Amino acid sequence: MRRPLGTFVHARSGDKGADANLGLWVAHDGSAAYDARVAWLLDLVTPSFVGRLLPEAAGLELEVFTLPHLGGVNVVLHGLLGRGVSASTRFDPQAKGLGEWARSRHVEIPEDLL
Amino acid sequence: MADGPLRIGNCSGFYGDRLSAMREMLEGGPLDVLTGDYLAELTMLILGRDQLRDPSLGYARTFVRQVEDCLGLALERGVRIVSNAGGLNPAGLAARLGEVATALGLSPAIAYVDGDDVRSAGFPGALTANAYLGGCGITAALKAGADVVVTGRVTDASLVVGPAAWWHGWSQTAYDELAGAVVAGHVLECGCQATGGNFSGFLSIPDPALPLGFPVAEVHADGSSVITKHEGTGGTVTLDTVTAQLMYEVQSTAYLGPDVTTHLDTIRLADEGPDRVGLSGVRGSEPPEQLKVGVNELGGHRNSVELVLTGSDVEEKAAWVRAQLEPRLTAETVTWTLGPLPRPDADTEEGASTLLRCVVQDPSPDPVGRAFSSAVVELALASYPGFTMTAPPGNGTPYGVYLPEYVDRSAVTHAVHHADGRIEVVPA
Repeated sequence: MRRPLGTFVHARSGDKGADANLGLWVAHDGSAAYDARVAWLLDLVTPSFVGRLLPEAAGLELEVFTLPHLGGVNVVLHGLLGRGVSASTRFDPQAKGLGEWARSRHVEIPEDLL
Repeated sequence: MADGPLRIGNCSGFYGDRLSAMREMLEGGPLDVLTGDYLAELTMLILGRDQLRDPSLGYARTFVRQVEDCLGLALERGVRIVSNAGGLNPAGLAARLGEVATALGLSPAIAYVDGDDVRSAGFPGALTANAYLGGCGITAALKAGADVVVTGRVTDASLVVGPAAWWHGWSQTAYDELAGAVVAGHVLECGCQATGGNFSGFLSIPDPALPLGFPVAEVHADGSSVITKHEGTGGTVTLDTVTAQLMYEVQSTAYLGPDVTTHLDTIRLADEGPDRVGLSGVRGSEPPEQLKVGVNELGGHRNSVELVLTGSDVEEKAAWVRAQLEPRLTAETVTWTLGPLPRPDADTEEGASTLLRCVVQDPSPDPVGRAFSSAVVELALASYPGFTMTAPPGNGTPYGVYLPEYVDRSAVTHAVHHADGRIEVVPA
């Protein structure tokens, strides 16, 4: 089913120099599907997935680090912020809202995880 | 030093954070050490510009006001204050705090840590160039009895690592313990971001009307910790708020710091009751040979304007005003961004409008100053129907460019200036 990624995935994002940093992890909401959701998320989030989820990042060097014990992934979007916070002409120069944008994007979620 | 865990709190996540937080943290519950982080990449640039105007500045001035308000209370309660508010001028901050203390009739032992400023070690021309130092300067200062320790650019986590190594007597090669403290430090360093601030699960915060409490860590001798907050404060500490902070601060799974390489894939979180989250299992290994350096250079000057476009033909309106403005703009870089197209038949004027943003950047101030703002303002009666701006463009402002660099440890003299004037050099 197509649902927002944020249906059960939390996010936080920010700036590191010219790079944006995005964490995505499965909410500890008491769901019995927690482990299955983590397995799904870790499998889902690849550099090419991030490029489709956030088209403004397509074409950038994207790195995904999986942190299974934390139930999520850390994504580094190299160069999204141009030459850094102070120089960036982006609408959100510190990438503060990037995570909430990602959560609002619709993705195909298996029904048994909902 | 004492038995039991170190109870360490944080009262600032950036220069500009809640001014009353130092008092709240001291009054709100027991603490051994209170930390404050004032330095972001951008802050170093701001402090660099401050110091260009007045060389006696270059530190976080709000910290001075907080200490003025709270020093007596901290001394009375035996809480050590450890902060990187020294920015580019820890000696200047320590001197200023000394004056403040004297005026209050107090005589705390104030130590400062420096050596992070490496402008002379291969970064000439940089506005700021600061090596990210570890915690051992702070450890040495506390060991010698400092009540207040101020530093320049140490890593954010060093504000917890330094005090924890002092409290528990850790050696420099106690990598697992140090790595545990690095993780606790990363959870604490952004203040309320550990307790429900900037949290995508905000709808689950129990009483959102209460100001969010600042975080506290109980750091144990084995490097494990419990993240919590003072009782009765707002916000929430849960597996998700702690995970949020960990996920945000890391890049990669092996986190390179000056004291230890922290293996983030070894962290175990545990729910330990209301507003208590345990962090354990963290493994550490030898740190990298070089230190990271945050370099800020003056990048140039910038200015911007937001034009409001309302109703129909928004793209055509944008195209016309761009065509009118572009021949007048002499800045090296001109960036246009058109917001989302307004809804047709919108029932509010705001809903029927969007913004066209123009950002100009140039190495020199003139093309982005009056030349830019006049070119925009002069179109007020001579452009698309409904021409208006969210605010008239002001003078341009300088902007910086941040560059991560690296330096050999041997090029850095990590020094503790104790309250009695003694200078102790510790490993960089």
